Amino acid sequence: MSDAVLVVGAGPTGLAAAHGVASIGRRVVLVEKESVLGGAPILSRYAKLVPSGEWAKDAIGRMVKRVEDAKLVEIHKGTKVTKLDGERGNFTATLANGKTVQAGAVILGTGFTHFDAINKPEWGFGTYPDVVTTTQVEQMVGAGKIACPSDGRTPERVCILLCVGSRDRQIGREWCSKICCTVSTNLAMEIKELSPSTDVFIYYMDIRTFGLYEDKFYWKSQEEFRTKFVKARIAEVTVAPDGKRLLVKGEDTLVKRPIMIAFDLVVHAIGMDPNEENPEIAKVFGVGLEQHGFLERGEHYTSTFASTRPGVYVGGAALAPEDIDTCISHGLAMAMRAVGDLNALAPKAA
Amino acid sequence: MATYAEMAEMYEDIKSDFRFDHELNGCLNCGICTATCPSAQFYDYSPREIVQLLWTENVEQIYDAMQEKIWACAQCMTCAARCPFKNSPGGLVSIMREVAIKHGMQSAKDVLRPFGRVMLKLITTGNQLSADMIQPDHFPDWGPNIQKVEGDLKVLRKAIPVKTLQTTETAWEVSLKTSVEMYTIWEMTGVMKQLETMDENLFDVIVDFIEEKREDYEDWLEEHADEKNDD
Repeated sequence: MSDAVLVVGAGPTGLAAAHGVASIGRRVVLVEKESVLGGAPILSRYAKLVPSGEWAKDAIGRMVKRVEDAKLVEIHKGTKVTKLDGERGNFTATLANGKTVQAGAVILGTGFTHFDAINKPEWGFGTYPDVVTTTQVEQMVGAGKIACPSDGRTPERVCILLCVGSRDRQIGREWCSKICCTVSTNLAMEIKELSPSTDVFIYYMDIRTFGLYEDKFYWKSQEEFRTKFVKARIAEVTVAPDGKRLLVKGEDTLVKRPIMIAFDLVVHAIGMDPNEENPEIAKVFGVGLEQHGFLERGEHYTSTFASTRPGVYVGGAALAPEDIDTCISHGLAMAMRAVGDLNALAPKAA
Repeated sequence: MATYAEMAEMYEDIKSDFRFDHELNGCLNCGICTATCPSAQFYDYSPREIVQLLWTENVEQIYDAMQEKIWACAQCMTCAARCPFKNSPGGLVSIMREVAIKHGMQSAKDVLRPFGRVMLKLITTGNQLSADMIQPDHFPDWGPNIQKVEGDLKVLRKAIPVKTLQTTETAWEVSLKTSVEMYTIWEMTGVMKQLETMDENLFDVIVDFIEEKREDYEDWLEEHADEKNDD
């Protein structure tokens, strides 16, 4: 039997899991396909996180350092698991760099892929340079300047379109991505902080700033930052007759009026897709996919965070769209699961 | 004005149509259908309102919408292409129109009256439009150039080297057999019944014509029965 735990993916989920396993005295092998640790918040250069308000590079940076400093964690960067043989208590993983890893349990924190907004062409991303994604605005906030990519001007009016790549049967995304409402209200406030003369409008179908995010984000963005909310799904984004601004066409469903409004910057609040590598991940690790393409969850009440293969656990945004705080909790819970199951397998002392 | 029971019956007819559950899954009330609807730009018509009325089973307002609003839809189906829930508001309008016809609503009669001539032309010739019906003066949207080429068009049509069955009286000749088959389809799918409800006079004229055509067809069959036996 191998007493090590293999953790795949070094985003918030994997980092929390790796540290959790090491903190209770087990050896961890952490495999990350990218050359840096930290996952989406670091790779996509997120600005301030919800709900702490801390910069991603600081908050997630601390998680990375904690794992890098842990003596029991062995890190393989820039490589993937290409094969997983064996069974619970006795797995052998082959890595793309030729090494093999022995592990008693496997934790998958393989995360998600940002929705590619080019798949909703009627909303102008990829056609007009001033149509951008929330990820790009995160990066603008990180750089300290909100500007239109076309000519660098400071936008007078910005709109954020919610549910881009979410809640949309037309393109096979039948899920709510859970985080975009709160992320967008957060971004609206950050935009206003950096550029007080800019007005921000948010177009929504429903606002899902769940739990304590209601007043800290949804209400605050209105009361303190004058963000305007319009209940409308936008039909199309076109260019205004001046050739500069963008025209956003919709129906204000609450006042029942068609609207056609000009904006300098249109932001797509992109959703969370299943990791685009999930078909490969499912094959390599021998785990199932659920109907949307996320990794399938086993019975949850008494086999929490189980995948469909015994000894392989799955959590975080690999399971479904998830926020960072919850991913961290999943990671820690999977550490508990993996170590607990390994302890149960260990031969009892005579 | 219909009684509540009559309105409820119309709603039941709409709801029990076999397409209904396919066209209506629910509604997120996002408004993308109305935003993208060309008719909503010009008329007091909102596909979202139609969907919402049907989904919430508002029989009085559904009846009200059938008085006028549903006839503003151009059936372009852009709403269906955009809806994130994959509803088809245009498809629902189509069902509502059929129910309005079935119940002989005045709104349906008013809207369909101008099409009586088209219907008659269709039945008697198998064509909606024929070349000799088209007067460029009546179609300003074709632009001024149509006037210049119009005279030559007739010659050009006749000059098409392959046999196209084209005539100037009809767009093309429809065989007797095809016409009779078409009448049978219309009878069996309820088109004739709809016509009777909408315009009794036109119905009588057309029924007479159909009977004549059927007799012609019977005669033709008899005349050619021998030929067939010879084969």
